[in-house]
Amino acid sequence: MSLVNAELFKVRTTSLWWIMGIILVPLYAASVLANWAQASAGQPPSDAGVSDTQTAQIEAALQPINVATNLYTSGQYFGVLVVLLLSAIIVTSEFFHLTATTTFLTTPRRESVILAKFAAAAVIGVLVWLFTTVLNLLVVPLIMNNLDLGSQLGEAAVWRAIGLNLLAFVLWAILGVGAGVLIRSQIAATLILAITYVVGTSAIGLIFFLLSEYVAEWINNLQVLVPTTASQLMISGTDLPGSPPRWVGAVVMIGYAVVLGFFGTWLTKRRDIS
Amino acid sequence: MTGPGTDEIVVDRLTKQYKKLRAVDDLSFRVRSGRVTGFLGPNGAGKTTTLRMLLGLVTPTAGTATFGSQRYTELSDPVRKVGAVLEASSAHRGRTGRNHLRMICRASGLPDKRADEVLELVGLTPAAGRKFKGYSLGMKQRLGIAAAMLGDPQVLILDEPANGLDPEGIRWMRDLLKSLASNGRTVLVSSHLLGEMQLLADDVVIVAAGKLITQGPVDEVLGGMTGGVQVRVRTPQAEALTAALSELNASVTATQDGALLVHGAEAAAVGHAAFAAGVELHELATERGDLEQVFLQLTAGKAGIR
Ligand SMILES: Nc1ncnc2c1ncn2[C@@H]1O[C@H](COP(=O)(O)OP(=O)(O)O)[C@@H](O)[C@H]1O
Ligand SMILES: [Mg+2]
Repeated sequence: MSLVNAELFKVRTTSLWWIMGIILVPLYAASVLANWAQASAGQPPSDAGVSDTQTAQIEAALQPINVATNLYTSGQYFGVLVVLLLSAIIVTSEFFHLTATTTFLTTPRRESVILAKFAAAAVIGVLVWLFTTVLNLLVVPLIMNNLDLGSQLGEAAVWRAIGLNLLAFVLWAILGVGAGVLIRSQIAATLILAITYVVGTSAIGLIFFLLSEYVAEWINNLQVLVPTTASQLMISGTDLPGSPPRWVGAVVMIGYAVVLGFFGTWLTKRRDIS
Repeated sequence: MTGPGTDEIVVDRLTKQYKKLRAVDDLSFRVRSGRVTGFLGPNGAGKTTTLRMLLGLVTPTAGTATFGSQRYTELSDPVRKVGAVLEASSAHRGRTGRNHLRMICRASGLPDKRADEVLELVGLTPAAGRKFKGYSLGMKQRLGIAAAMLGDPQVLILDEPANGLDPEGIRWMRDLLKSLASNGRTVLVSSHLLGEMQLLADDVVIVAAGKLITQGPVDEVLGGMTGGVQVRVRTPQAEALTAALSELNASVTATQDGALLVHGAEAAAVGHAAFAAGVELHELATERGDLEQVFLQLTAGKAGIR
């Protein structure tokens, strides 16, 4: 426990956390506005040339309950990105600033240090989730009333989406620490993670689209193995048509977190610190 | 018989093989408590690698480096048993000195107030609230020493601590380390600067190219070498004295200015031989060879940066 405390102390005593906070606030606001705009835009005309599945998806997404889950989890996209980067930096900064020597002299059992970093990252994930969720609970009911949909806060599905949103924040935090251990260079780790996270889904989505078009249709089902897709699937409020069940996304995310966690710990234990 | 206590450092057949280079090669030595031990060798001799293996940061290829019979990673409370200062810059640039120390306190269960106590000890209290990036090299070294002292450990290990310290800082550190050793602590200090060690160390361990060259009390290492202890004498009857001294199996060489340098006999023996032979003496003095010379002789051919 004192080790988790020490890891959180390390984050608190450098300027990184408030820089990330300052970046997050406008991005959060933009996300709320974007979700609002999407909900109020309504359905495309039936001759817009979209496929049946897509029409079905859009229809489903516009149901009040789905609008609600979407809005009440606003800020997830950028919040998770910030948590992911902070989590990776918790590890990489030890090497970037040469503090690993001090850290492992203080706590020579390295698995304890890495476990503490996982826990500290999870705590940061929870805090950012709490921050966005509290703001959402204040702001979104007003938007829902504006859309004439009611607050929807009586719906179990909304609270389930908020809970799954928390799970996403925590799992991405753990993923970030694991990635930081694997990619020890601070610059490489933050760049690779940010790029994969931001353009990854669409770029990999395109690759999967081409593979399923020209190689085999079933390959498309593997898309859920992409962490960003899995996460999206896991937190989407209801099962949308044409997607694998939601729990598959959760299983994939937990799988990544566990594998990266164990591999990262193993790697840290055997590496020389010099 | 019980084994050595955790305040004795035991390096036993320690070896570290990097891809091409054997940085440490079958190295064995012991470091006793109550003394300052100098760990000497030219750059690239493997000193830092040895200390990092001792501290569980680098895994040895073979052999062990332990405190008594326990590895650093096996110590139940390492911060309270062993303090180490490795590189001067191992703190986060954006963190204050005080927070750097508090971070160690939190991780090792020490009270935060220890941070202020050790800051006072190393004279860094005025800079405690400043960020590490604004510290001079000398202040960084002091912060490193402060961190090592947090747990009031029995064993202190310092890698090239004199680097970046001004003469006043070096004197301060020498006094600190000597007083810590005289309180019964074990102090191991590495350096490639020999002059400083001569004033500081009680024992020396000399390495070159990863191998042990010699170890022992400074006096013995110095005395056992040519260029070590010598006796300088002046006399108007040089030939008579040389003859008398040759019976003691001492060697005598003349210097440019007319004095004689005697190796292999102590000043008292030289004086007695002169008195017995009725030789008049104008000067009789013992001279210490310096560690620098001994070191160059010992490591000749093995020194140099690898
Ligand atoms: N991680 C490493 N990989 C490869 N070679 C290394 C590594 N660390 C040190 N060395 C080499 O091992 C030798 C001993 O280095 P070091 O222990 O730092 O010597 P010293 O501290 O006595 O100057 C040097 O030649 C150095 O280049
Ligand atoms: Mg060195």
